[in-house]
Amino acid sequence: MATTALSMTSREVNGSAMAALLSGGIGAFAMGAVVLLNEAGIFAAPTLYAPAGGVSGRTTLATIVWLMAWAVLHNRWRAREIAPGRVGAVTLILIALGVLGTFPPVWRLL
Amino acid sequence: MLFSERSIWTMVHGIGLGGGALIGLAAALFYLYAARSSDGAAAPPGSGPLAGATVLSAVLLWLTVIVGTYVIFPPYRVTPPAGVTDLSEFPRALVLASPSTAWLHSFAMESKEHMPWIASMLTTAVAFVTVRYRSRVLQNSSLRSLSMALLAISFALVAFVSLMGMFVNKVAPLD
Repeated sequence: MATTALSMTSREVNGSAMAALLSGGIGAFAMGAVVLLNEAGIFAAPTLYAPAGGVSGRTTLATIVWLMAWAVLHNRWRAREIAPGRVGAVTLILIALGVLGTFPPVWRLL
Repeated sequence: MLFSERSIWTMVHGIGLGGGALIGLAAALFYLYAARSSDGAAAPPGSGPLAGATVLSAVLLWLTVIVGTYVIFPPYRVTPPAGVTDLSEFPRALVLASPSTAWLHSFAMESKEHMPWIASMLTTAVAFVTVRYRSRVLQNSSLRSLSMALLAISFALVAFVSLMGMFVNKVAPLD
């Protein structure tokens, strides 16, 4: 990502915002990937709450990935001005892929 | 009793929490859209209502998915004991028993299991931005556009899974 370090306070630069929005895309992609891997029989997240079944593990795992990505990106970008165009594009692509991964008709293609 | 505990939880999940989140998302989207006309204005609109709507939506969405996954879904997916012929207490088995309603599980319910979690993440991200950046979200066109896009995706996902939930509940209610 093209970044520019500026001598501004973290509230004046957009790094925290870009980190939050991109991590949302990463979380969405993680959800789709975990679901697809499960449907393909490659990886099954452990069930955390038996009455709810595997969905409890899949959603928790994707949520952890989202929070970790957010923490890392926030720490790296909070004092930087980030080019919003590329981050926005990557975010939207990740969201689209993530949503597709959670869409049952896509699983039938595996 | 007019309503069982399970049906009350279903209403809390779908109408109270999910419905409230949809209203909050619609309000936040409208606020962001309307703020476009204030570009270059000396006194941009206040950002408090936007932050309030997005934070409320995020909280309601997280409560919706947690209640949906850990309170509503377990009784829905219970496997009926062998020999049971009345499947009205076992919604998943009931919809899967007929080819004409099997899609309510294989498409509708399986969509509902994961998609709303994505909406919760995206709305939380925008809520963070509106709280941290306040009026800059309204004044900065790229920040505003990206926030609008994520909220619009969240709204579409929540509206879709809400519709699916209504279909499932119509055929196999949790009574």
